[in-house]
Amino acid sequence: MRIVLIGFGTVGQSLARILTNDRDWLVKNYGFEPQVTAIADSRGSCRDDNGLKLDLALKVKEKYGSVQKYPGNSERKTNTHQIISGTEAEVVIETTPSNFENGEPGLSNIKESLSARRHVVTANKGPLALAMPALLELANHTRMQLRFSATVGAGTPFLNFASKCLPGEKILGIHGILNGTTNYILTRMDEASLSYQKALAEAQEKGYAEKNPDNDVKGLDTAAKIVIIANWVLKRRISINELEITGIQNLGPKRILTAKKSGARIKLMGRLTDSRATVKPEEVPADNPVCVPGNLNAVAFSTEHIGDVTLIGRGAGGEETASAIIRDLVDIRSEYSI
Amino acid sequence: MKFGGSSLANAAKIRNAARVVERFSPENRIVVVASAMDDTTDRLVELGELARRGESARASKILSRIQKLHTKTAQATSSRKESKELLDRIDRLNKELEKTVQGISHLRELTPRSRDYLLSFGERLSTPILAAAIRSLGLKTQALTGAEAGISSDERFGEANPLAEVSYHEMRRRLDPILARNEIPVVTGFIAATVEGSITTLGRGGSDYTASLLGAALNTNEIWIWTDVDGLMTADPKIVKDARVLAKVSFGEALELSYFGAKMMHPRAMQPAAQRKIPVRIRNSSKPSLEGTLVSSAETPNGGRVVKAVSIIRSVGIVTVSGTGMIGSPGAAAKVFTALGSSNVNVMMISQGSSEATISCVVARKDVDNAVRALQLALLGQGLVDNVVAERDACIIAVVGSGMKGTPGVAARIFGAVARKKINVRIVAQGSSEYNVSFVVSEREGPEAVRVIHDEFQLGRKP
Ligand SMILES: NC(=O)c1ccc[n+]([C@@H]2O[C@H](COP(=O)([O-])OP(=O)(O)OC[C@H]3O[C@@H](n4cnc5c(N)ncnc54)[C@H](OP(=O)(O)O)[C@@H]3O)[C@@H](O)[C@H]2O)c1
Repeated sequence: MRIVLIGFGTVGQSLARILTNDRDWLVKNYGFEPQVTAIADSRGSCRDDNGLKLDLALKVKEKYGSVQKYPGNSERKTNTHQIISGTEAEVVIETTPSNFENGEPGLSNIKESLSARRHVVTANKGPLALAMPALLELANHTRMQLRFSATVGAGTPFLNFASKCLPGEKILGIHGILNGTTNYILTRMDEASLSYQKALAEAQEKGYAEKNPDNDVKGLDTAAKIVIIANWVLKRRISINELEITGIQNLGPKRILTAKKSGARIKLMGRLTDSRATVKPEEVPADNPVCVPGNLNAVAFSTEHIGDVTLIGRGAGGEETASAIIRDLVDIRSEYSI
Repeated sequence: MKFGGSSLANAAKIRNAARVVERFSPENRIVVVASAMDDTTDRLVELGELARRGESARASKILSRIQKLHTKTAQATSSRKESKELLDRIDRLNKELEKTVQGISHLRELTPRSRDYLLSFGERLSTPILAAAIRSLGLKTQALTGAEAGISSDERFGEANPLAEVSYHEMRRRLDPILARNEIPVVTGFIAATVEGSITTLGRGGSDYTASLLGAALNTNEIWIWTDVDGLMTADPKIVKDARVLAKVSFGEALELSYFGAKMMHPRAMQPAAQRKIPVRIRNSSKPSLEGTLVSSAETPNGGRVVKAVSIIRSVGIVTVSGTGMIGSPGAAAKVFTALGSSNVNVMMISQGSSEATISCVVARKDVDNAVRALQLALLGQGLVDNVVAERDACIIAVVGSGMKGTPGVAARIFGAVARKKINVRIVAQGSSEYNVSFVVSEREGPEAVRVIHDEFQLGRKP
């Protein structure tokens, strides 16, 4: 399988590392022999139709900050159009930053890839949050796969759990904690009675929160995941603009204290019911299975016959996310023998 | 709002269409969809055929007529300020059209793909002309092709299916900024493009389909179809003197009316609007003060009357197969339909005698001979069917209204009224939808049947 990798940050590099380290194991167990024929970051790209040396690409990236210094066939500008259509590849992996304003550059990259008859595996949530019905329709039309396991729960298979482990069971609603960063902040505000600002600073120090934490704390990341679950599991055609979203950025310690007194915690909940889709801080009883601490994620599927089924796991991390991408690649490989 | 070919047939009409846009622009944000001028699309079809057959003299005559029509119209409809740029554009398109025709006549081949490309010139020529005419009144516009407006489709050239979600998303992305700048997008109707960018046409429903998609994508308050009639009528005014325009009908009723020949959107075109519950208004472009007919998802009673309209399809015939062998023989009906289907005869209505010894099919009169031949070949001499007979003198009367389903006695009133006039009802439709009762009478008695039903339900009275 030949792969174009767009975006070479935390996730892209983790993926490159796993593909290098686990190569023999993947070949032996899945007959899966990936070749990355192009890599692009924001400043340039490199390309080799016979397969790039990933360890070298990682070293170049570390040393120079961009793959444009990779020896041989490299570019000083990122022209994703040319990379997508002009490179020999069956699959494009999209790991550029999630943008919830207009989905770019991921949205164009995915559309272009599907139109050029490439399968797509994305870790980037922005394009799906804004245009998932359109992208699924396009993939269906061009008969290409569009996979996005990495977008929800990173390594924890929330999406596949619902679609593969609960067939025939009617899922009535879905709710849960879908963002580790905010869950960490809320946990620290609760446990250590920190202010929001202090807890955020701590999360940033530990690398859980980004320098600009807006996507997480304003609830957009959670909302994007709710949109993806709604479209994929419940076949509901919605976009992020239709959600009611409240973040945690204005949450005071008082509300957390009040909840605590009644044996509850404040959690940033994403919730999908028959008629509504919301993201907002909610009071959750401490003994409720979705009430998980730290940076964990938890999703409860409310079903008709077996009640609530809750899945708990880590929802982010470069390595976890890369592993979800590999899951998708192996799936595509077994379906298309590439 | 969409302007049909008749509303853009000449310079005066295009100027009028521009004034209609101007009239409604202060209170509304408007997207305009343009059809090809008049019968340009038919001319282009003819042109393509002639070019393919290598009849270059006749082809170039039609070609130059199309070119001149658009050049002259462009000159006559745009202000001096606008005309230079417009004429350049029309000129370029005319040249491109000429090259396309040359290509076809060189190759002597007209593929579905090149045919769509050829047909697209109708709208691609009319749209910038209408846009310039609107600009000449001091409004800001932007002319766009269907592809530029974001409509993408599959590769079924000639009758392409839009990729609805992809198109909705793209249309919003491309048109929202234009609307936000207070400009009026003027979009070619009828044409879309594949994901790879080849031009396709939307086939049946044409420009109405474009308007419906745009309305659904942008979630507009209404979709207005400007045409040359006042709206949907209770009956053909040539038959019934006091026929009047219906103020409101439901999508379900509109579907029936369009099937029974009303000048209405094609069901395919109605679908995006109906799905997203965007009301469609049918209006007359030469009488813009009239409100026309509003088609919406609401089931509106017609002032207590269960019936809304009565229409007539003329020039049909009845083909009846009979034979005692058919009694108790399963699959006799299936054989009849298979035979008709494989000779491309469209069955409009069916009726089976309760004794099972006869099956009658109502077909278009032009298909009667074909149908008889197909049935004779397929069914005679096998012990099943003894006889195939045709009657040519018939018409279908369709009585439409959403209130009929739950109201007992409607059929009795219809057939009672018809019987009082001693009109012989030949066939009553089986399995008619909840929105209509239809039956067949002789062609001569058709208009009278329409009138008595119109009277019986007092459709001429204002609700
Ligand atoms: N990290 C996680 O735990 C996690 C989990 C689930 C999903 N995700 C999603 O996965 C995606 C990647 O996350 P990440 O943590 O790897 O982010 P990241 O470290 O910021 O990496 C983003 C990469 O995209 C590149 N890039 C930016 N603009 C580009 C452009 N126009 N063309 C080509 N490349 C461009 C960046 O280039 P430079 O290197 O030149 O800056 C960088 O290599 C995001 O959408 C994120 O939401 C992440």
